[in-house]
Amino acid sequence: MEWVQILVLGLLLGGVYAMMASGLTLLFGVMRVVNLAHAAFILVAAYVTYVLFENLTLDPMISLVITMPLMFGLGVFLYLTLFPRLEESPRYVEMTVLLTFGLALIVEGMLTFIFTGIFRSVRPEYASTSLFIGDIFMPSSQLYASLISFALLILLWIVLRFTKTGTAIRATMQNRAAAQIVGVNVRKVSAIAFGIGMALAGAAGSLLSFMFPFFPGRHWQWVAFLLALIVLGGMGSIKGAVIGAMLLAVASAFVTDFFGPTWSPITFYLTLFLILMLRPEGLFGAKARL
Amino acid sequence: MALLEVEDVVAGYGAGPDILTGLTLSIEEGTSYCIVGPNGAGKSTLLRTIAGFLKPRRGEVRFNAKRMNGSRPDQMLAAGVCFVPQDASLFPTMTVKENLVMGGYLIEDRSLLQERLEAVYEAFPILKERRGQHAGTLSGGEQQMVTLGRALMIEPKMVMIDEPSLGLAPMIADQIFERIREFASLGITVVLVEQNAAKGLEAVDWGFVLDLGSLEFEGPADGILADPRIRDLYLGKAMARRRDAD
Amino acid sequence: MAVVEQREELVEGAPGRKPGTTARRVTLAISLGLVLFFPVIAYPIFDSYAYVMQLGMLLLMWIALSSSWNILGGFAGYISLGHGLFYAIGGYSAGLALAHWDISPFLFLPVAGLAAMVVGFLAGLITLRTRGPAFIVATIAMLFLGLLIFDNWEFIGASSGLDLPLIDLTWMTDLFGVENPVEFLKVPFYYAMAITAIGAVLLSYRVAHSKFGLGLRAISQDETKAEVAGINTRWYKVWAFALSAFFIGMAGAIYGYSLTHLRPLTFFAIAVAARMVLMAIIGGRGTVAGPILGAILILGVNEVAVRQFGESALNIVFTGLILLAALLFFPEGIVGSLRKAGRLPAFLDWD
Repeated sequence: MEWVQILVLGLLLGGVYAMMASGLTLLFGVMRVVNLAHAAFILVAAYVTYVLFENLTLDPMISLVITMPLMFGLGVFLYLTLFPRLEESPRYVEMTVLLTFGLALIVEGMLTFIFTGIFRSVRPEYASTSLFIGDIFMPSSQLYASLISFALLILLWIVLRFTKTGTAIRATMQNRAAAQIVGVNVRKVSAIAFGIGMALAGAAGSLLSFMFPFFPGRHWQWVAFLLALIVLGGMGSIKGAVIGAMLLAVASAFVTDFFGPTWSPITFYLTLFLILMLRPEGLFGAKARL
Repeated sequence: MALLEVEDVVAGYGAGPDILTGLTLSIEEGTSYCIVGPNGAGKSTLLRTIAGFLKPRRGEVRFNAKRMNGSRPDQMLAAGVCFVPQDASLFPTMTVKENLVMGGYLIEDRSLLQERLEAVYEAFPILKERRGQHAGTLSGGEQQMVTLGRALMIEPKMVMIDEPSLGLAPMIADQIFERIREFASLGITVVLVEQNAAKGLEAVDWGFVLDLGSLEFEGPADGILADPRIRDLYLGKAMARRRDAD
Repeated sequence: MAVVEQREELVEGAPGRKPGTTARRVTLAISLGLVLFFPVIAYPIFDSYAYVMQLGMLLLMWIALSSSWNILGGFAGYISLGHGLFYAIGGYSAGLALAHWDISPFLFLPVAGLAAMVVGFLAGLITLRTRGPAFIVATIAMLFLGLLIFDNWEFIGASSGLDLPLIDLTWMTDLFGVENPVEFLKVPFYYAMAITAIGAVLLSYRVAHSKFGLGLRAISQDETKAEVAGINTRWYKVWAFALSAFFIGMAGAIYGYSLTHLRPLTFFAIAVAARMVLMAIIGGRGTVAGPILGAILILGVNEVAVRQFGESALNIVFTGLILLAALLFFPEGIVGSLRKAGRLPAFLDWD
């Protein structure tokens, strides 16, 4: 039954990936921003969680309450200061890629400056325990992180589906001009959506902090992972991101089992590469292609 | 007093040239208008400027005697100016009903929203029939009906419609113009832009003739249609230019 | 239409016909003279001669890298963040030739360049199926795939790297009677890099003034129109990709040799790719002088920063901040902005 074990571990990881990617895909869907700094901001939240844990022994799952609003505010601020200037550019999407690339460099440099390049991790008690259901074992940290991720994804779905702001966000995703015509202030909505995306990155950072050791340069690999799974699921589709996350997390778990952990990233890189080349709209017919 | 005044407005896109070159016109409440003129005269640009999608480089747009320069589209809508652009700009994977409800985005009162929805269904029975269907799956004429119905949701003081008959079969276009007349009968000030000058002018009270970004002539719609000079100079030219472009 | 208009403009702007030819000739003579005689001039002036030569070599290297990147990223408008791959191909192919067959990397340079070019050609065939942002992301994926393979390939030393034998300097003593050849260790690297940089700039100039370059510019402005105008956009782009890899491969070979120890991350680090992009953007994408100017400026700022703050992570922060500022305030770079304002001095006008 070893493959069941691998499948379970893959799915648990997939839940966290899905939440990490949902913010990224939301940003693309609403304002066509490919945020290369998404994983760098996840790291910011991870380091905030680390500091809170080291100094106040605050449980990382509780520090979500701090990292999420913090990152929301940072997102709104960054959006309003940086992006309206680019909107006039005829190569808007390309410019946003370069801009967020620059942001990622800044964040990485600042984190390295403050925390140095060594590995850090947050080790609450549950980081070293695990649960057994029959023969299947589940590390507590992954189980908790996965459950919180799903809870947040459901919350995101509720916000998008049933609140006025959520409706405005969905409308802007579908047709920006039409949203403006019916009276949506798209700049405000974009800023809020950017904030929500960043808040999700904040949550992801807090959860990752006790799942994997991290260092500032790590975010490039992560953002490539995240891009792979949202390109697979279809850019701008949150449902697609969840499916993509599950598929790739399970696939990479099997690759790890067969070829060893060093080769597991190849699942993501190859997927990203091949999907972009062969089926840029994603496997499930995205709303928009990159 | 005029409902909307456009005074000496200069506007254009990005770093591009001026499309409107000092345009002045005024619109009275309760009258319906059609703006005609050759391709590139600045008809759509005028509507986009009034709707707040484009900032005037010079001049002033006043609505209800209030200066509106630099207002965002949502602020213009809240003031009572509704814009229906050329491409049926709907939310393709939302249902017809959801699209109409989005039209009432600025309405906070839920019961009022429901009331308006019923009113729109009454005015456009076809929309009630299709309410559960995704807007993206409708025909061109039906999509245009949804955009008109959606405009009605907010009960605007003034509605500006850009090329409502574009790409529609003549019979369907006639139905659309009929709906537009109904807008006027509800007391809503209608401003049309129409490539098919004869059809557009037939549906309204007053006509504006635009060329090269400024107002060349205005007068009662039937008078413009009847005036052979205007036909030759501006409306005929539109036809001639279109042939050239092809 | 746009293509035809631009062609007329370019004919007018052809060298020899427009004003400022003298200024350009003088600039060319001074720059070439400075590059060729710098090791001689610098020797009596600077105490830390080896350091100054190293700096000179790095400047020439970045001029080669950003000018090459500019052929694809500037002229054709396809922004690649994956050109670190070709840098690595050059570095490792020359390193392997030295370590396994004892061939001097200086002799191997053209082969290293060709190897990078062949890989660039293949990479172009594949990645250029995409456009715009998808292309950028595809090149990042390409870079990471390359890093993963290099990191796990035992033959080339995997992630722990490949040691190279030190350069043999006895010929300096034999030929010139130099007593302490280590003092002049960096000079051969400097000249090899000078040849590479001159080659890269020459290529950039030739592309800018050819029908090929005209086609690339048309592609960057409006690819569909360029296609309609009869340009075989696919082959233009693929060749631009291949050409942009050649001198990057050569630069990688020389730089790797000067390090004596090759590690994948030295070449594949995203900061390397970021710098090529940054220099070209700051100086002016799609111009001949822009990447050179950008390289001088960025290395200068970096040098000052290192002196002020030491070799710290703040340098990456500065790189990012400069990129942000450039994108937001003058996306056309120094040369592009000056030209738009009609204030581009003749000695910078090589297009």
